[in-house]
Amino acid sequence: MEALWDDFATAQNTCNGYLLATTISPEAPATDPARLYNFNRGTNAYSLQTDLRYKLQYNPSLHLEKKEAAAWHEVFTAFYAFTGKLLAAEEAQTASRPREADWSSVYDSWKEVLSAVYRGYSGNVFEAWTIPCLYVVGKYLRIFAIKADEQAAASQRDSGLAFGELQEEDAFGAASKNEKLEDAARQINRIFALCLGDRSPLEDSRKWALYYTANLLFKTYFRLNSIPLSKNILRSLRASASDTPELSAYPRAHQVTFKYYSGVIAFLEEDYASAEELLTFAYESCERRATRNLELVLMYLIPTKMLTAHRLPTRQLLQTSPTLDRLFSPLCTAIKRADLRAFNAALEAGEDEFVKRRIYLTLERGRDILLRNLFRKVFIAGEVEDAKVDGGGVGAVAKRTRIPVREIAAALRMAGATEIDDGEGGVDTDEVECLVANAIYKDSNLQKLTICCEQNHMKGYIARDRGIVVLSKTGAFPGTGV
Amino acid sequence: MSGSAQPNPPTSKLQPSSDASDSTKQPPAIKPAAAAAQLDEDDEFEDFPAEDWSKEEEVGAQQQQQQGGNNTHLWEESWDDDDTSDDFSLQLKAELKKMEGGKKG
Repeated sequence: MEALWDDFATAQNTCNGYLLATTISPEAPATDPARLYNFNRGTNAYSLQTDLRYKLQYNPSLHLEKKEAAAWHEVFTAFYAFTGKLLAAEEAQTASRPREADWSSVYDSWKEVLSAVYRGYSGNVFEAWTIPCLYVVGKYLRIFAIKADEQAAASQRDSGLAFGELQEEDAFGAASKNEKLEDAARQINRIFALCLGDRSPLEDSRKWALYYTANLLFKTYFRLNSIPLSKNILRSLRASASDTPELSAYPRAHQVTFKYYSGVIAFLEEDYASAEELLTFAYESCERRATRNLELVLMYLIPTKMLTAHRLPTRQLLQTSPTLDRLFSPLCTAIKRADLRAFNAALEAGEDEFVKRRIYLTLERGRDILLRNLFRKVFIAGEVEDAKVDGGGVGAVAKRTRIPVREIAAALRMAGATEIDDGEGGVDTDEVECLVANAIYKDSNLQKLTICCEQNHMKGYIARDRGIVVLSKTGAFPGTGV
Repeated sequence: MSGSAQPNPPTSKLQPSSDASDSTKQPPAIKPAAAAAQLDEDDEFEDFPAEDWSKEEEVGAQQQQQQGGNNTHLWEESWDDDDTSDDFSLQLKAELKKMEGGKKG
């Protein structure tokens, strides 16, 4: 218990917010692994108040103002109750009685700690350098909420099973299965408002906790599947941008996490140009050993780049992560080779994971690039042939800009486009024309929507009466060198 | 997991005296909160081990060092001209023939 108070005094005397936050953390520091246990057993409900008074008010190495000492007194009183609940829960868990671990009480008692800390700030007693304490209370509130909800769900499942496979919907009933996490979101939102509303000068402002708290909220909303609520946070941040420090002034961990979440939000809103910018920043500024986070950023950056710039990840990039390699390599290979059969198979194989990550629909649009590649191949093949027929000089390659629709149909069949079958072993020409028209139309459309998509897939038109596709004499496939 | 390595009988936990001087003597069997306070959130953006890092520790900086350039090796064109157009045009011809045959037959 002494180490805790030593740290507390050192932190207070040197204004070290991160050290201060460790004194109320549910995770004991490595140097003092038995800290919570000792704190809890080092006193009891009767002597707690006296003990705390000695540590906070009459401690010769501390010089807290009376108000401040009183506020910390409240915090540690709540923290004491919390350690009791947490140790009991852990004991149950280590003794393989996880069902007796009462995470709901752990959550409630930690919420008391949060409230006591909150009051310290709302009463303007705690200074801004102490904000890592806000990080700690917010972070663990969310964690304990998830544990409590998981436990509630598990026990409901168990009682359901006892009656023979009760339907899950019935078992969960009207009560939310995320009761605690929803509550946690409200509490963390209070912290966010507390920081946003601080009118102190910037060097001594709780606004420095804004992005950390925003990130915590994003994580929570994503987990609750209430992603639209994240937009409120973004809106609040934008509205107060003029009296908030630049994002670049915050620690990189806050910056990168924030860019990741706002990038994913932009992605889900199909604002791919913003998504590309945000995710590219998140990727490049990410700490290079944080492999899991890099993987998550790329999970969204890869489909984004495919759409905005028509570019695919290199082998090197995909090989940085087995997951990415498994998910994206088959798709990318299929697109490059214009192999529709392989593309469909890859999309199907990864479907569950793509849907879970909400990237399925975006990846599906890779088919457009694939078809572009296929049409391009037909174009190039014709070019070579004509050059041969011509037998002309090297410089005079005749570009065949008129391509019979039936040739395109043949190419589509080769690639495995089943949708062009007319059901009688022949080809549905309308369907072929439709795919060609799409490649021409889609891009001029996209171009209007996002400046980033300056590349058209294909330039030309269909001469239906003659059954040919007439391609532009110059740059029929913009951006691809032909 | 076996439970055999737990040195503390529950009674010893009740002695408040351990607080003053010998708190380091006997760490209790209960593991620190680490296990309890962590989730296996395999879907979530993880907390970074450090709050901040230097420019050199960024992925971007690392890549520029290796490549001496603009991370061009991360992204590549979305088409592949590897198989020669001759092969493709042969295949295409064969397919065309097949289609003609299909129509007649």
